[in-house]
Parts: sequence; C-alpha cells; structure tokens
Amino acid sequence: MTIRRFRIDVQKLVIVGVLIIIMVVLSILTPKFLTYLNFNNVVMQVSLVMLAGSAVSLLMISGNIDLSIGSVLAFTGVMHAYMSKHWFPTGLSIFFTILLGGVFGLVNGLVVSKLKITSVIATLGAMYIARGLAFIIARADGGANITSGLPGNFEVLGRATVGPIPLHVLIVIAIVIVFIFIQTKTNLGRYAYVIGGNRVSAILSGVRVDAVLITLFVFVGLLTGFCGTILVSRIGSGVPRIGLGFEFDVIVAVVLGGTSIYGGEGSVFGMVIGALIVGFVANGLNLLDVQAFYQVVFKGLILVVAILIDRLIKEKLG
Amino acid sequence: MQIKIKTLTLQKLVILGILICIAIVFSFSTRNFFSQKNLLNVGKQVSFVVVTGAAVTLLMVSRHLDLSVGSTVALSGVISAMLAQGGVPTGYAFLLGTFIGLLVGAINAVLVVKLKITPLIATLGTMYMGRGITFIITDAKTIREGLPDNFTMLGRETLGPVPIPLIIMIIVIIIFIILERKTLLGKYSIAIGGNRTAAVLSGINADSVVMLLYMIVGLFAGLSGVMQASRLGVGEPNVGFGFEFDVIIAVILGGTSLAGGEGSVLGTLIGAFIVAVIGNGLNLLNVLSFYQSVVKGIVLVFAVLLDRKLKEWIKRR
Amino acid sequence: MDEKLIEIRNLSKYFPGVVALKDVSFDIFKNTVHCIVGENGAGKSTLIKILTGALKRSEGKIKYNGKEYEPHSTRDAMNAGMSVLFQELNVVDQLTVGQNLTLGVEKSRFGFIRKSDKAAQSSEVLKSMDPSISLNEQVLYLSVAQKQVIEITKAITSDANVIVMDEPTAALSEEETERLFEIIKGLKEKNVTVIYITHRLSEIFQIGDYVTVFRDGQMIGTRSVSELSYCRDEVESCAELIKMMLGKVVVEHYVASTVDYNNEVLELTDVSNNKLHDISFALYRGEILGFYGLVGSGKTEIVRVVYGLDESEGSIEIQGKMVQVKDPRTAIVKGISMVPEERRTEGLFTKLSIRENIPIMNMKTVSRYGIASKKKERQIARKYIDEVHIIARDEDQEVALLSGGNQQKVVVSKCLNAESAILLLDEPTRGIDVGAKEEIHNIIRQLSSEGASIIVFSSELPEIINLCDRIILLYDGKIKSEIKNGEDIDTERIMHIVTGGKGDIGAD
Repeated sequence: MTIRRFRIDVQKLVIVGVLIIIMVVLSILTPKFLTYLNFNNVVMQVSLVMLAGSAVSLLMISGNIDLSIGSVLAFTGVMHAYMSKHWFPTGLSIFFTILLGGVFGLVNGLVVSKLKITSVIATLGAMYIARGLAFIIARADGGANITSGLPGNFEVLGRATVGPIPLHVLIVIAIVIVFIFIQTKTNLGRYAYVIGGNRVSAILSGVRVDAVLITLFVFVGLLTGFCGTILVSRIGSGVPRIGLGFEFDVIVAVVLGGTSIYGGEGSVFGMVIGALIVGFVANGLNLLDVQAFYQVVFKGLILVVAILIDRLIKEKLG
Repeated sequence: MQIKIKTLTLQKLVILGILICIAIVFSFSTRNFFSQKNLLNVGKQVSFVVVTGAAVTLLMVSRHLDLSVGSTVALSGVISAMLAQGGVPTGYAFLLGTFIGLLVGAINAVLVVKLKITPLIATLGTMYMGRGITFIITDAKTIREGLPDNFTMLGRETLGPVPIPLIIMIIVIIIFIILERKTLLGKYSIAIGGNRTAAVLSGINADSVVMLLYMIVGLFAGLSGVMQASRLGVGEPNVGFGFEFDVIIAVILGGTSLAGGEGSVLGTLIGAFIVAVIGNGLNLLNVLSFYQSVVKGIVLVFAVLLDRKLKEWIKRR
Repeated sequence: MDEKLIEIRNLSKYFPGVVALKDVSFDIFKNTVHCIVGENGAGKSTLIKILTGALKRSEGKIKYNGKEYEPHSTRDAMNAGMSVLFQELNVVDQLTVGQNLTLGVEKSRFGFIRKSDKAAQSSEVLKSMDPSISLNEQVLYLSVAQKQVIEITKAITSDANVIVMDEPTAALSEEETERLFEIIKGLKEKNVTVIYITHRLSEIFQIGDYVTVFRDGQMIGTRSVSELSYCRDEVESCAELIKMMLGKVVVEHYVASTVDYNNEVLELTDVSNNKLHDISFALYRGEILGFYGLVGSGKTEIVRVVYGLDESEGSIEIQGKMVQVKDPRTAIVKGISMVPEERRTEGLFTKLSIRENIPIMNMKTVSRYGIASKKKERQIARKYIDEVHIIARDEDQEVALLSGGNQQKVVVSKCLNAESAILLLDEPTRGIDVGAKEEIHNIIRQLSSEGASIIVFSSELPEIINLCDRIILLYDGKIKSEIKNGEDIDTERIMHIVTGGKGDIGAD
C-alpha cells in the first residue's frame, strides 16, 4: 500500500467517518431524522448537487472552476419551460435543453482555453449572462415565471418514482457512476489529473490541454442543463430565480470531498460524500428548527474549515 | 526618439475615449441623455460603485480579490437601518454600519493572510456568510417601520445642487488618489502586486499591507452600504446582488490588471461611468434590465481581453 | 591593503545522497573583485546560497569582518551587508526608478512618503554609474543592463559591503558589459567587495583580482589573477585555469555507436531567434549527438525550438521533409520526445504514481477507445521498472517520494514508452548520484543501438565525452565547433571554446 493511496484512503475514510458521526448525532438529537420520508428529502435536495458535482469534480481536478452553474441552471430550466410550452414536446425539449447547457459549457471552455482568460473571470461573466438570459426568457413568455400552459407531462421528470425511489435520483446515481468511471478509468480522467497537477509537464508530455479543458467544461454544461430540466420539472414552473448559490453548494461538496482548489487530486466519490455531509447537516438544522438562513452561514464556515483540514492532513503526512 | 507614455496613462485615455463615444451614441439615440436630471442619476449610481471601487482598486493592484463586497453592502445597510429603527441617532447608526464593513474586511484579512486561504474561496465564503447573516437578522424582510426622517439624508439630500452621494464619492476619490500616489500604502500595493519577491526582499511586510487593504475595502463597502440604504430609505437585505461584479468590471475597465502591479483610481472612476452609462442608456432605450446583465457579462470578458492586448502592444513598442 | 573580509573554513554542505560542497576553505579580501568559476553543479550556487542566508551550512565556519557569520535568513544576510544580484531581476517594473531605489527604506510621516536624503544619495550614485537613467522613468522601459544598475545602486545605498553578482553579463551587450565593468571597478573605491560568478574566462582577466575554481563541490584552487597566465584567444594562454576547472577527464567509457550516415533523421538549417544565431546541424540514425556549452550558451533554446516551444526562422526537416513543429504534441506525433531539464516541474506529475506517469505521452499503449486498462498500465510500468532499474516499492508509489535518479528514470521511461525515433535529453543526469548516472547512460547507449537517434544537451563535459559520437560546441547562441569523438579528443581546447575562445565555425 503506497503512501499516496494511503493518504487518499485516509481522506475518504475521514469524510465517510464524519458523515456517519453526523448521522448518528442527528438521529440521537431528533426522532424525525431516521425516517424514510426524511432521507427521501435529503436525497432529493442533494441529488442535483451530485449531478452537477460529478462533472465539476473533474473540472476542479484539472485546476479550473465554474462559477456560472447556478445561473446556467436557471437559464436552462426556464428555457425548458419555454420550449416545452411553445415549441417542442417535453421529451425533445429536455434533449435540447441539455444541449443548450452544453453550448454554454463550450463557450466557457473556449474563452478559458483559447482566449486564455482565467476560469474565475470567464465563468463570472457567464454567470451574469446566463442569469440575465433566464429573466429575459421568462419575461418573453409574459410573466415573471412561466407557470401556465405547460404540458401535462412536464412534471414527470421531476416527480415520477420508480417504486419507492424518485426517477431523477436513479438518473443521478447512474450518471455519478458513469463519472466515477470516467474519472478512474479513462484517458480523459487521467488528463484532468495531470493538467491540474502539473500543467507544464502536461504540455511537455503532449497532452492536448485545450481539448481536454473544453470537454470538461462541456460536460459541466450538459449536466447543469440536465439539472435545470429536473428542477423546473419538480417545481412545476420555469422560475428564473432558482439556483442562487448552487455553484457554492457544489464547490463545497467537491472541496469537502478532497479536491484541492489548485487541482491535481480529488474524486467524484469524495464529492458524493461531501454533498451528503452538507445535505445532512442542513437537514439536521432544519429538523432542529434552526432557521434556513443560518445554513448559509454554516456553509461558508464548512468551506473554510474543509480547506484548513485538508491542509492540515497534507502537512501531517507530507 | 521614442515617446514613452506610461502604460496606465495611455489606457486611461483609451477608456475615456470609449466613454465619450458611448455617451455620444446614446445622446443621439435617446432624448434625455444629456439632461441634468439624467446625468445626476448616472452620477448617483456611479457613486456607490466608486466608493467601494476605489478601495478595491488598491486591493486588486496588490493582486488580491474580494468577492464579498456585495454582501457587505447589504449587511451594513440593514444593520444601520436596524440601529436607527431601535432609536440610535442616525449619524451613529451610519457610523456603526460602516464599521461592520470594517469587521468583514478584517475577517477576510485573517482568512487570506493568516490562514492562507486563496482569496477566491475565502471571500466567496464571507460573501455567503455575510448574505446569510443579513437574511437572518432581518428575517428576510425589508426594514421599513420606525425609521427616522433623517435616515435618507446621506442618500437623497443635496448640498446645494450636488447630491450628497456624489460629494462623498468625490471625497473618497481624492482620498484614494492621495493614498495611491503619495503614501507607502499605495506604493507598497504596487510593489506587492508587481513583484512580490522584490517587495519582500526590500523589507516590506507584505502580510500587514494586504491585511490593511482588505480592511479598507470592507470599510468602504460598508460606507457604500449605508449610502445605499439611506438612498432607498429602508434596510433591504436583497441589495448588492451583483455589486461585486460591477465593481470588478469598473476596476478592470479602468486599467487595473488582474495580474496586479498597476491600476488607478481615476481609471476605476471612468470604468464605473462606462458601465453606468451603458446601463442608463439602455434604460432610456427601454431595454430590459435583464439584458444589461448579459451586456455586463460580455463587457467583462472584453475588458480583460482589451486590457491584455493593450499591454502587449505597449510592451512591443 | 589586502585585509580579509570573509574567511571560509572547511565549509561543507550535504543533501540526501549528494555532497554539494566538501571542505571548502579560502579567503575573500576587502575591496577586491573575487571571481568564482566552475562548471554547472560544481558548487558555486550552493556556496552563494550559504553566504546569503538562503541555505544553512552542514559543517565548517565562516568569518565575516572578523566575527562569526551565520545568517538565519536572507534578511539577516542583507542586514549584515551582504547583497545579491540574481539573474531574475528584483525590481518592480511598474514603479519608477526613483521609487525602486527607495523601496522599503522610504522616509515617511504618518504613512506619507517624504523626500529623504537616501533618495538624494541614491540618485547621486546612480548618476555616477549611468547618467542616462532618469529618476522618473518607469522601470518597465529600461533595459536589463539598466535594471542591473538600479539594483547595484540600491545595494550600495543600503550600505552593502559585499555584492554578489551571478553571471551578470549573460544578458548584456558588449557595450553594456564594458559599462558594467567600469561600475564594478568603481565599486572597489566605494568600499564594496564584489563576488563575481562567471564562466566567461576572459572576463576574469578584465576585472578580477582573485579567482577561485570549483569542481565537484570542492575548491580546487584560489589564485590572484596577476599570477595566472593571461587568457587570450589561444588555448594555451588559458591553460592553467582550464586545467583547474576540468581536472582529469577520463575518456574510458566511450563506445562508438553504429551510425547510419546515409539516413539523416533530423536537420536544422539556419535556425535563428532572439537567442540563437544560424544554428545548422544534422542528426543521423543510431547516432548520439551531443551539445556542450556552459550556462546561457543556447542549449535549452535549441531544445525548445526542436520541441515546438519557441518560434524561429530557418527550417527543420525530419526524414528529409520540412516540418512545422508548433507545439510539443506535434513534436511527439512526428516522432520526437524530450526529457526536460527540470524533472520535478517539467517532466513528472509528482502527485501521481509511477504507473500513472509512464504512459502519459502515449496513452494508446495502455488504453483502447479512451478507456485505460489498469492491467496494461501495471504491465508497462513493471516492464520499465525492470528494464530501467527503477528502485521503488512498487509501481503504485508516488513519484514525489523517489530519489532524483529514480525520478529521472521515470521520465526516461515516459519517453521510451512514446517509442519515438528521436530523443532529446536536456541535462539528463544533473543532480543525480553516480550509480544512477551510469545506468541512465547505459540506457541511452542501448537505445541508440536499437536504432533511435539521440541528442544529449549537457553542461557536464565528462558526460558528453562518455556518451556522444559527435560533439557540437556552443557559445552565446552560436555553434562554434563540431568535433568527432575519439581517443585523442582535446578537452582543453573544448573548454577554451565554450568559455569564449575562438572556434572554427562561423564568425565570432
């Protein structure tokens, strides 16, 4: 067993341990925690974070970030509502919406790799463009939100269940598995690690850095588009105000899961655990009647603490 | 003989030129652009951005970021409103509100310098924490009741023909131009941003300087916040969304490079005007505010590109 | 007037596996220009780092002005009067000359900068050295030479007694070099001692009072310059100095490769850019070609052009066909791979394992349709671990934990896995222990016998002589000579040429 594997294992063990401890503490503190309904709630909340987080993990492993996903979520969601109301049958609309998200990702990828603008600024710009577009489309339909005139099957994606499990949760699980596969077993995953770990070495080793980064951004866009369709479907209307702070939730989950801000290490699996930790903490606070807004404060704290702990672990083992 | 123009001066001239062009375009396509009322409007909008932007300029010159200014604006605004509501004399309420901004700045300073967390994440964290606290203490409601009449004095009153926000802005600009050109703080910010190794080797305590910069940014964000609350006449937890973005665009358009080392407060002033003029012009043309969001995003990317191209061109001369 | 300023006694510095300095003892006298010469890795920079507080000595003593000297940081050293001019200039481009001169030592009240005597003093000093520099100019527009003058001025006005200059003329024109020498001569009168590191032997005779020669971490000898024979264009006059730098060069290991001189795999014609001048050479199948020259001679620049990292004029032909190598990916596709100079920052992915590093240049060998097979990765990793004798726990070990020699072997394995026809090696065994050095050299020989064509770029003469069939000598971005290796190779002449002597190719 090598040291690096040892350390990553330690990190994964630690966060799984933290998750278990949180669950145990919460189940002691409140009887409502260990119910099926509650777990269902948490999973539903957290599933979208995991969906986008799968692709964002890879992107952050490569040393880049995407601050626009919350806004792209809103934009694609509203577009889905608009398209399925005016132009296409629901299924086709979902398809095009996902593509639209991919287009956004493509533009982000091009701006970052070809125009050589840092991903922070580029996706900050995309964030405002997408948010603006979301409001514009909603307005174009007539009101602030697109609530009426949606097809009957609009809510299927977001609310259907397969037996006891919501449909979209199954989809999310499937996609997470796919991305774990990509991260661990494909060349693309390997390239993400090397670009994030040592960009100069990657270039000198002949890695097609531009192509890889564009692909990763496109993946983020596609999955964010998917998130958009699921969310508006669950809500039942196209609301441009959704997704505020979503990028933050995803980044926290990814960082908690062991991905360094600078890239070069991390895992999709870690992101899953990270998302669950944040989800359960938020859930627990809810059950304990702690106001929703404290959660935002809490999330900020968690992010800072996660980074500090990560550094502590590195220093202890380094 | 080679005419060696300081890179920054050239850039300022260019953006001033752009501003004038845009203003001319709008004055032809709309009716009221150059009316006194409209120009004052633009001025007022700009003042909030510039009061914070001047401080952010110095920070970005030292190669650091602060994404939390928007939430600081909201936080300080609602706190000053709550204090005034609770009976604290308005002047003191404003003072304390501004001071809250200083506190946020201090937190940022500790996170970035002492705990060595990268500025992006640290200030993203304080942004969310600040926003969260704002919503908590106001219960997500606007603070309206029981505010004294003089609560709007900062934001709506005038001194003669000039609105007070503009006066404050001018004072702040003068302060920061002095800081930039005549003090150690200004010089050290440039040194730290331009060549941190050289700065440290020359004996500069880079950590202290950066901490001070973050606190100053927080302080002036707080000031913007109370000015904004005073203008609105209420404590509104929903303000400031996108404010950090407006500030960053203004600063970058004004010539401050993301890589640090150069920048100017006057440039930020011009940059803020460009953004405000575009917004104002689009308003007058009855363009939806949401389109402005899109335009701003595009402007940001263009600003960064233009900045880089300009610098490369200058270097080649 | 020969008073001792610095006395170094039995100074040694050890790193894990490497002895950087061994038992070094010599004196530096006040108000002299003391030159330090030696090949790369000879110990010069380690000595300087210890003197300037960047490194701690392992053994020995240093006396400075009669007192024990042991700086704990670069700040300590600076406060004691020791200042350094590095090759990376420490000026802030965005500030003016005047602002740079007073950086960190401004006179101020309540934070406001006031005019100080220091400012007046430095501008006096500056004017005496280079009157063309005006205080209000932005440093960005100054030339490298002028920036150096600013750093020197700053050092003087901060009461430095010692200024260490590390290869200061590397980026200067002849005229600027002359000007620098005038300044240095003037420094002696200002009570400043200059420690001058160089590999350009003629310079030693122009400004040096003493010279110390380093080789393999040891101080070979210190002489007063007046004692040495004057170094002109002919080899013989530099003889003594060169002999000291070289020591005994043993030519035992060289074994000629089987070269197919009818098969030209690579040819450069008149390749030039702002660091290179009309580089032309050819590489044949099965050959090991060597490029030898000291720091700044253009070795790395040639590598960068062939590998697609820098632009250039002139033509590059592979197998007789003109090619445009626009980036490393293209180079690899066209059959060229490279072992870079800095293995940690350019050649490896330190957080990843051996198994994950090796196939990166040619993922086809371990993957199909983009999906990597861990089994194949292990196979390949084990194959190279065996072939190349990489010492590690197993193929999953993190590369950062390996020794320098084994890390380099991983980099070499990367290139082997790329199965290229042409292999470039930039300083392949720098900082590596003797055993691993031998092994890597054997790998290179093995490769060439299998038909690969290899170029070795090195600043270690023994390495070049032991490996290469043909040796091209570089100085100042130009090719000065081409030598065929053999028993009667004239190492002194080689050293003479790479330190600035007259070669036999092209104009000087």
